[in-house]
Amino acid sequence: MAAATERVFACMGVRDIQIGLAAREFSAREVAEASLARVHALDGATHAYLETTEQLAFKAAARVDAAVAADDLTACGPLAGVPVAFKDNMNLEGAHTTCSSAMLANYVSPFTATCVARTLEAGGIPLGKLNMDEFAFGSSTETSAFGPTRNPWDLARVPGGSSGGSAAAVAAGLATVTLGSDTGGSIRQPGSFCGTVALKPTYGVVSRYGVVAFGSSLDQVGPFTRSVEDAAYALNAIAGRDALDCTSQAVDTDFTANLADGVRGMRIGVVPAFMEAKGLTPEVKAKVEEAAEHLRALGADIVEVELPNAQAAMSAYYVLGPCEAFSNLARFDSVRYGYCDPGHKDLGSQYEASRAKGFGPEACRRIMLGSYLLSAGVYDRYYYPAQQVRTLITQDYASAYEQVDCILAPVAPRTSFAFGEVSDPTDMYLSDMFTISINIAGNGGMSMPVGLGAETQLPVGVQLISPQFKDENMLRVAAALETVYGPAPVAPAFAPGQPYPEGSMVDIPDAADAVPGVDLPGLLTAEGSFGVAHQASSAAQRGLSERLGNAEAAPSQVEKAGE
Amino acid sequence: MRKLEEVLQDWEAVIGLEIHAELTTLDTKMFCGCKLEFGAEPNTHTCPVCLGMPGALPVPNRAAIESIVLAGLATNCDIEKHSMFYRKTYMYPDMSKNYQTTQGPVAFCMRGHLDLDVDGAAAKERIDLEGLEVGESRGNVTRTADGYTAHVGITRIHMEEDAGKMVHIGGGEGRIAGATHSLVDYNRAGTPLTELVTEPDLRTPEEARLFMQKLRQVYLALGISDCSMEEGSMRCDGNVSLRRRGAKEFGVKTELKNMNSFKNLHDGLAYEICRQAEVLEEGGQIFQETRHWDPSKKRTIVMRVKETADDYRLFPDPDLAPYVLTDEWIDSVRAKLPELPDQKAARFEDVFGLSAYDARHLVEHRETADFFEVCMELAGGDAAKLAKPVANLVINDVTAYLNAADGVALADTSLTPARALELVRLQAEDAISSKQAKEVFAAVLDEDKDPAAIVEERGMKQVSDTGAIEAVIDAVLAANPDKVAQYQGGKTGLIGFFVGQCMKEMRGQGNPKLINELLVKKLG
Repeated sequence: MAAATERVFACMGVRDIQIGLAAREFSAREVAEASLARVHALDGATHAYLETTEQLAFKAAARVDAAVAADDLTACGPLAGVPVAFKDNMNLEGAHTTCSSAMLANYVSPFTATCVARTLEAGGIPLGKLNMDEFAFGSSTETSAFGPTRNPWDLARVPGGSSGGSAAAVAAGLATVTLGSDTGGSIRQPGSFCGTVALKPTYGVVSRYGVVAFGSSLDQVGPFTRSVEDAAYALNAIAGRDALDCTSQAVDTDFTANLADGVRGMRIGVVPAFMEAKGLTPEVKAKVEEAAEHLRALGADIVEVELPNAQAAMSAYYVLGPCEAFSNLARFDSVRYGYCDPGHKDLGSQYEASRAKGFGPEACRRIMLGSYLLSAGVYDRYYYPAQQVRTLITQDYASAYEQVDCILAPVAPRTSFAFGEVSDPTDMYLSDMFTISINIAGNGGMSMPVGLGAETQLPVGVQLISPQFKDENMLRVAAALETVYGPAPVAPAFAPGQPYPEGSMVDIPDAADAVPGVDLPGLLTAEGSFGVAHQASSAAQRGLSERLGNAEAAPSQVEKAGE
Repeated sequence: MRKLEEVLQDWEAVIGLEIHAELTTLDTKMFCGCKLEFGAEPNTHTCPVCLGMPGALPVPNRAAIESIVLAGLATNCDIEKHSMFYRKTYMYPDMSKNYQTTQGPVAFCMRGHLDLDVDGAAAKERIDLEGLEVGESRGNVTRTADGYTAHVGITRIHMEEDAGKMVHIGGGEGRIAGATHSLVDYNRAGTPLTELVTEPDLRTPEEARLFMQKLRQVYLALGISDCSMEEGSMRCDGNVSLRRRGAKEFGVKTELKNMNSFKNLHDGLAYEICRQAEVLEEGGQIFQETRHWDPSKKRTIVMRVKETADDYRLFPDPDLAPYVLTDEWIDSVRAKLPELPDQKAARFEDVFGLSAYDARHLVEHRETADFFEVCMELAGGDAAKLAKPVANLVINDVTAYLNAADGVALADTSLTPARALELVRLQAEDAISSKQAKEVFAAVLDEDKDPAAIVEERGMKQVSDTGAIEAVIDAVLAANPDKVAQYQGGKTGLIGFFVGQCMKEMRGQGNPKLINELLVKKLG
């Protein structure tokens, strides 16, 4: 087994990489090459990556190196030279965007998501696309059609989900910054399970354009990093109004500005009902209490606050989420793109077979649920009350923030579980019991790693929750906790200098194999262009050919008709 | 089947319309920046948003919202300050997202109305107004001097997006039955589309046709759509049911589609009314169904039967924030309202002294109204004097010519306002007779020449020179001494004979009025 490169760029922080680049100790090209080599060497163990994007990485690196040569690294932006990777529900022109679904196994993005474009514009070096629960439905990354991601801290355990690949890649030192998306806890819960900083901004801070929608009113994009500062850099890069997403808002905050301010004088809320919740394990509870004690010691006021309606959040979520998901997934119909089951003579049977085979069981469950909840007569009994609950919970948070600047809570009730350990869907849904109300209300929330649980010796995160559009508050508290706990470490088995884990060398498909000659998208070239979706067949490579009966999914403007 | 006039003696038809109009005059689509263009190569005006690619999001077109608010203001609607977009689910390849973005229970425009002036033959379909005095009202109808006015309620006008176009290959006449495959063109997908729904206030096919015509005039005046029924940018579906005269309960309605011209709208509804009457009179039952008007076979055929209401799973679109329109903004849109056809007609009556009938028919088409206005400008100080003859020329001759020359625009003919005015002046000044005027009118259009030149060329100028006429009269009297004696003996009816003789001498070009006057003088 070869040792890792002497300098492991993907294990470094943003600032250290940029100091090294500016001092010409190494080039961005070297960062790209070494980081991709490390991904190819190590990812077999954790399976965070679905695809690498070598050509795009080298082009991005060339731009950074040109800026260094001109002595103007800052011209590139806050993520210049930083190895980054994206959850596979984010479009990157020329790369696949599969949402870890057989439905989109062959789908190549014809355009780039705003959050991805902004990361690249900020100088990030794109290493590839990351595994997830299918269409973000899940809390363990086990529903991926391409096999689960394994937790770098214990390969027999789940990384959490749905952004499991994004969390694992950062925890394993396979990227410095990754982006994930969070609809009910999909950034924060895997952040807690994998021991990374994981931030879901206030709804509207980051554009959703180009992120394949799950629950449009709940989805929000955010970064995974190993330090609070890196999270702030990443948020600086991606936040702000986007003309292509009318739910996005103008943001002019520098999220790094108050990281060193400490928490003296800050009022931090603790929710007694959360701390007494059934299912919260003693080791997680102890960590939250420990963090509260540290914050008190650092000068914060710890205040108890009530969120009287928060217990209804789960119920509201499992009405609103599936309703929006049902509608958002209606477009996957086999006509223009996506899996098309062959040989059908009429439209109805083609729709049915393509969707039945293209979607996994959890996706089908949520579609069925949403379809039922929105149907005539049922809608009034569920959707409408769920929206009323939403208003109440939003008001709860708003009044809590009249008393406090930030709320401290658990992220997940427990540490990572073993594969297959949680098989009942409703038990799985409880993974998000402390995170869901924040999506319902729209506030920002993040998972801050606070070491290992006393019992399981697995990472534990505590959740920091901000008032709406005050995401800097939780970053400031997180930075104070970081002075106690230190930055998040790379998982021991993946730490630089360690021999590679067994079975870690695999051949990850590269976007260039599928689509030769792709160019940098969107903001990096003159104009974002849109062409016909490229089609590639790496389905076999992804072990899907059997399930799909060797069918080639072809983009088609032709559908079979006739009666 | 019985005739409509007979059927309507026994049955009252209850008609409501749903009128779709694409906002074709906008530059871009409803939720993306794709260009709006009819007839482009298939799938050339598409993008991730209107193709429903994963991750694409809609951004509403502000100009479209302004257009629909204009439409609402022009049709006396309340403009709702709080409304939002909904998703209406249905799976079909022409709808790329498999849901249509449309509006929910509250539309931008609610509770409006248009008043229809029905006159002439069109008023004859309404047989239940007997005994109604002019100015007297019954229901939504008020009797007028030349017909009646119907007050037609508008339930709502909402904003939505159009679907793509499907072409079915391999079946007969492009129909889906028997097709081997289908093609989809998404150029039209996402075109801003307004849907106006009327109250069931219409009672005759003529009223339905007039409503559609009037709405088209309003939209054209607003400049929000080209309203081409042929290209489908303005489309009309009709709901029709029958009830016995005097009954209060509504009958079962059918929905009629494919009425893509004013004539088809009238004829389709008329057929359907007669068909329903026949079924009911034979003891049969009307089923709630969608029927297709086939103009070539002149009948309606069943498209699909609605056994249960469709479940569109309508819910608020979370990608689009709810609208909050301010009074200031609505007022700023109101300030952009142009003169509407009704206002224009009132002005024509007021300024030019036209009758209500003339004014109404002049404004039926923007081009004829504009033409009339240019004529009046050119007429200068004579405007008031020439208004009536110019209006007659436009309403009768010009309209008849345009109707006959199917689809020709007035602006593309050789009849300019200056020529029309010249023609009217020639006649008003007794230079030509009314019969000659008709000939000149036709010649202007055929030969692209000025009326004066045609009159000159054909030597048809009316002779009003007293000297010349007197000479002819003298000759005629000299040649008929016996008739002169009879006339002077009291047989004054012979004046016609003398006029005729003079006209004959002058090969029809003498001014008959002048001849008459001079004859009376000479004989007296």
